[in-house]
Amino acid sequence: MSMVIDMHVHPGFYEKISEDKEEIAFRKKEMGWDLMSTFPVELTRTQMKFAGVDKLVLLPLDLTTKQGGCVVTNEEIRKMVDIAPDLFYGFASVDPRREDAAEVLDHAFRDLKLMGLKLNPSKQEFYPSDPIMDKIYKKCLEYNKPILFHAGMSWDTDCLMKYARPLEFESVAVRYPELRMCLAHFGWPWIFETAAMILKYPNVYADTAMLYMDSPEQFFSDVFTRQLGRLWVDNNLADKIMFGSNNPRFRTARIKRGLESIDWRPETKEKILGGNAMKFLNLEEKCNG
Amino acid sequence: MVKMKKLDLMTENEFQLISVKDAVVDFVKESGIQNGVVFIITAHTTSSIMVNENLKCLYTDIEATLEQMIPTVHDYAHSHFLPSYGATGGNAPGHLKSMLCGNHAVFPIQDGEIQCGMAQDIFFAEFDGPQMRHYFIQVQGE
Repeated sequence: MSMVIDMHVHPGFYEKISEDKEEIAFRKKEMGWDLMSTFPVELTRTQMKFAGVDKLVLLPLDLTTKQGGCVVTNEEIRKMVDIAPDLFYGFASVDPRREDAAEVLDHAFRDLKLMGLKLNPSKQEFYPSDPIMDKIYKKCLEYNKPILFHAGMSWDTDCLMKYARPLEFESVAVRYPELRMCLAHFGWPWIFETAAMILKYPNVYADTAMLYMDSPEQFFSDVFTRQLGRLWVDNNLADKIMFGSNNPRFRTARIKRGLESIDWRPETKEKILGGNAMKFLNLEEKCNG
Repeated sequence: MVKMKKLDLMTENEFQLISVKDAVVDFVKESGIQNGVVFIITAHTTSSIMVNENLKCLYTDIEATLEQMIPTVHDYAHSHFLPSYGATGGNAPGHLKSMLCGNHAVFPIQDGEIQCGMAQDIFFAEFDGPQMRHYFIQVQGE
């Protein structure tokens, strides 16, 4: 049995990195997390045990040039991983418009040992195929690190969805076939574009961190067995979808419960809940060898 | 005279009954109030304060009965995106179970002692866990 890995967690309210009230206000404003509050890592541990989840992938977001700050810094991610290495994997982020973007990534991958990169084309205002991104992609290839891209709808009022339509990532997938990338949120509402991308390109994955509008059970049943065909995931996409919750917006346990309620084959569920993430994160070789 | 205490606890499951009777008994004694009442009040809208017998079989029956009345998956209007939270309401069952079970319990105090029936225990009831939770014990009297 693979580990169960939640690929999509924003640690904006972890007490150990939330002592500055101005920082908390910034995170709330940028992410639309208005009424949420801080909590200790012990609660996260308890919630993971309740959910049956082994690891959370923590995602920061660098908004330096547009908003003058980060929604959790790379250093804060490292701090959380050091506090609870049994619970967390850490990703980096970089604002592609920073002049020192390459140096930031060198530091994040070489010194902070972060496992991948989180980018949000809508929030950071870039098209994935923009030439300014080439230095970022090459740096990820240099360190063999995957990218998790925000894809699909953005709730925030100050960012446009057009930057993150799944087909905007196609030329990147073609030009960088060795670069593992994940289209977060399954690119909702463009789920057919996402299905085509993960079907066609071996290096493209998607996560399940969708903004449900009823319950996880009802929403995933609609998306994965009615809007997409009943056997599409089992027969074609099972190797490319990863469990992601978008915690704290949505609880890890509830998203997992929704996925587990779908009538998929057991091996499909195992891949989605963790097996595919092991491949994406390049953990298979480390665990097997 | 009124004396109040705020207590914290971390719940471990979505549904959980946690006895808080010892804390209530202790605070009644500590308050020094000889005759009056003690209130135990939850600070949340998806939890309750419940009085019942402390038997595991009753835990099972209470959970199963509430689940039967208020199923986890149902067409709840609350299950929509809430801009004020930046999240979809996923805890309508917790709100409804809280409504059914109530937010507080109250007991008489006589000669400095809480007056409980032999089978009565006092529970913090979690319907939306695991979470950090708070509840109040307030003693009123003389």
